[in-house]
Amino acid sequence: MAADQLSVTLSALADPTRRAILARLVSGEASVTELASPFEMSMTAVSKHLKVLERAGLIARGKEAQWRPCRLEAGPLKDVADWVGHYRRFWEKSLDRLDVYLREMKKKGKSHAREQ
Amino acid sequence: MPGSNRTSGAVGSNECEIVITRLFEAPPEFVFEAWTAPEHLARWWGPDGFTNPVCEMDVRVGGAWRIVMHAPDGAMYPCRGVYLEIIAPERLVFTNIAVDDEGTPVLDGLTTVTFEEEDGMTKLTLQTRAVALIPGAVEKLAGMDTGWSMSLDRLARELALRKENA
Repeated sequence: MAADQLSVTLSALADPTRRAILARLVSGEASVTELASPFEMSMTAVSKHLKVLERAGLIARGKEAQWRPCRLEAGPLKDVADWVGHYRRFWEKSLDRLDVYLREMKKKGKSHAREQ
Repeated sequence: MPGSNRTSGAVGSNECEIVITRLFEAPPEFVFEAWTAPEHLARWWGPDGFTNPVCEMDVRVGGAWRIVMHAPDGAMYPCRGVYLEIIAPERLVFTNIAVDDEGTPVLDGLTTVTFEEEDGMTKLTLQTRAVALIPGAVEKLAGMDTGWSMSLDRLARELALRKENA
C-alpha cells in the first residue's frame, strides 16, 4: 500500500459531507444535482468536494458534457478498510512515541523519574 | 488462511499476525519499565496527539489492564486485556481487546513483546496476533490510526458485498 496515496484518501475522507456523498454513491451513480440535494450547500461547494474525492481516486466522473454522473471507485477504500494496516500502524506509531519518550527521559538524566 | 497473513489483510480476512522489530537507545530494564508502569506507558501509548486519561495496569500474571485512549477529535477508544507472562526485563505477554461503544469486542489480540540487550541498547520485538470482528474493527482501527472517527461500517460492508457480487 502506498502510504502517500493512503494519506490523500484519508484526508479526503476526513470530511463528513464527502463521506455522506460516498455513502450515497454506494447505491449507484448520481449526478452533481442529485448529490447536492440532501445538503444545504451551493453547487459550487459540492463541486469542490467532488474534485477532492476525484483527486483522491475515490470517485470517477462520466465523460458526457451535461450529465457527468459520479460513481464510486472502490480501490482506495479497500486500503482504508485494511484493518491489518491500521492495526500495524497503531503499534508502529506507539513505538515511535516510545522512542521519543525514552530519549526525553534520557535527556532528563533521571532514568526512573516518577515525577514528570 | 488463518494466522498466516503476516503483512496485509484483504477485506474479509479476519486474522493477522504482525511482527515489528525496533532498536531503542536505552537498556532493557528501562524499556521494560516503560511498558509496565502506567505513568510511563500513558505517555506514549497510541499515535501522536492521543492521550490516555484512563491507564490502569495490574502487572501480575492473570492481572488485568485497561486503557481508554482519547483521540484528538474527542473520540474514545477503550481497550483492555490480561497479562499472561511477565519475565522482567525480557518478556511480556498479554491479551489486548479493543471494544466498540457498546463494549462489544471488535478486536481480540495476543501480543508478545521481547526485550533483548544489544550493546547497552534494547532490541524490542513485538509480535501480535489478532482476530477482528469486521467491519466493526475497521471503523475503530481507522479512527485509532487517523485520530478522527468516522462511519466506515456501511461503506466497508457495501464494498465487500459488491466485491462478492462482481
